[in-house]
Amino acid sequence: MSEIALFGAVEIGLVYALVAVGVFLSFRVLDFPDLTVDGSFPLGAAVCAVLLIAGVNPWLASLAAALAGAAAGLVTALLNVRFKILHLLASILTMIALFSVNLRVMGRPNVALLMQDTVLTPFYGLGIPDHIVRPLVVLVIVAAVVALLARFLASEFGLAMRATGVNARMARAQGIDTDAHVYAGIALSNALCGLAGALFAQTNGFADVTTGIGTIVVGLAAVIVGETVLPARGLALMLVGCVAGSILYRLAVQFALSADAIGLQASDLNLVTALLVAVALILPRLKAKAGVRKTGGSAAR
Amino acid sequence: MIAVQDIHVTFGRGTPLEKHALRGIDLTIPEGQFVTVIGSNGAGKSTFLGALAGDVLAERGRIAIDDTDVTRWDTPRRAGLVARVFQDPMAGSCAALTIEENMALAAARGRRRGLALALGGDRRRGFQERIAALGLGLETRLQDRMGLLSGGQRQAVSLLMAALAGSKILLLDEHTAALDPATADFVLDLTRRIVRENRLTTLMVIHSMRQALDYGDRTLMLHEGRIVLDVAGEERAGLDVPHLLALFARQRGGAEISDDSLLIG
Repeated sequence: MSEIALFGAVEIGLVYALVAVGVFLSFRVLDFPDLTVDGSFPLGAAVCAVLLIAGVNPWLASLAAALAGAAAGLVTALLNVRFKILHLLASILTMIALFSVNLRVMGRPNVALLMQDTVLTPFYGLGIPDHIVRPLVVLVIVAAVVALLARFLASEFGLAMRATGVNARMARAQGIDTDAHVYAGIALSNALCGLAGALFAQTNGFADVTTGIGTIVVGLAAVIVGETVLPARGLALMLVGCVAGSILYRLAVQFALSADAIGLQASDLNLVTALLVAVALILPRLKAKAGVRKTGGSAAR
Repeated sequence: MIAVQDIHVTFGRGTPLEKHALRGIDLTIPEGQFVTVIGSNGAGKSTFLGALAGDVLAERGRIAIDDTDVTRWDTPRRAGLVARVFQDPMAGSCAALTIEENMALAAARGRRRGLALALGGDRRRGFQERIAALGLGLETRLQDRMGLLSGGQRQAVSLLMAALAGSKILLLDEHTAALDPATADFVLDLTRRIVRENRLTTLMVIHSMRQALDYGDRTLMLHEGRIVLDVAGEERAGLDVPHLLALFARQRGGAEISDDSLLIG
């Protein structure tokens, strides 16, 4: 693997770390399997790209992308909370609809960002090679987001959100408006995915409607890999685990694809992804089984 | 104070399984009174508690708490006034959260939850003092997950949580039913202590007739969605379990009592 490929993998891993953290919020904190991200990620990319071409400040464009993602999340939450559509189905409906919305936003299937200023532009002229600057800037953004999110989840509002996901009946008996917390949580989760889409567009120089396909699997893969390599209990560490998982996952994919001996090519990406997720899901189970055998079955429940 | 006027609740209205669970309950409970509630399965005890807590909305009648009409309030809105402990130790707390996080959730009951740290400042120390008073040695385990505690410990912490936010009404729905007898006695004594210390107006649904008479200062018997017995004071002091059983049998039209659970003294 070349140095450029290595940093490229880290960079894309960091961009998708925001997706991972968002998926962590919906799947793990709220216990709400939300597939909207397959639509909110390219939505963020589309909104950001269109605004950049219109000459909007890149930070504002990124913020707008996050807000667009949040709006998509609100639609899913509305379908589920207000109209009682099963969460999985509600999110699939939003995701399907967003494909058309994204085409409308861009006016065509893809938009190239060639000469536009991005959030990265000010850092290119500092004498550091571009392929190192990009992951560094994204790292700073991801670190800031993770720190804010960890603080948020430790607040009274965030704690109520966690209770909503763990035991909604208890939460309601403690005076928590569980519906409001589902709205807020799913909106926040998709805002993070929208922001990830905006960073993707700015680091890769394009937005494309098809980039969303499989986003949820990648995000989930990162969450699961993170939980496997960093089995933490504290929330802040769990979020760090999501980021680490996202980077490790990209490195693993990059390694698999670049090892000529295995004979894989770029088009095998989705197959490799599915295999990695399956392995990450199966490993903890095998480990638990081995543990039971070692202690003579006393730990079995 | 709780004032209930002629409340009715029907489940599955218009279906073959329609059940008229509450058929006109009238009840006034003065502030600070500790009421025990008995009745056979399906008598409407849990539904009645649910109606007070807001889980089920009464289709007719009126419920007032401290002179505020709460008939149409949902559960989260009533939570500032009403605290609860459930029968299932798993139901009343979050197993995946730590003890102190559960306590922080309960402490914020009835007020806005903002972005301040849930466990900031000296709140942790306050929780520690409260939980040390239980005498269960849990004060060193505040950062353990709730799920690691035994059923009795969880019910004890749930009782503590119920008294944290200063609500004046406590609803206990057979909160000792899932515990072994010794633990159940411990939790009942703790209940008495917490009710007394916080001067809570309490409704406690309980299976054992003996305990229904031993604890609290007033006993209600529910049958088919109505209050069929309401005793307090000297009349109650003179009552014994056999009396209660006889009264109950009469209410059932003299039918033999087949429900074993009612015979457990």
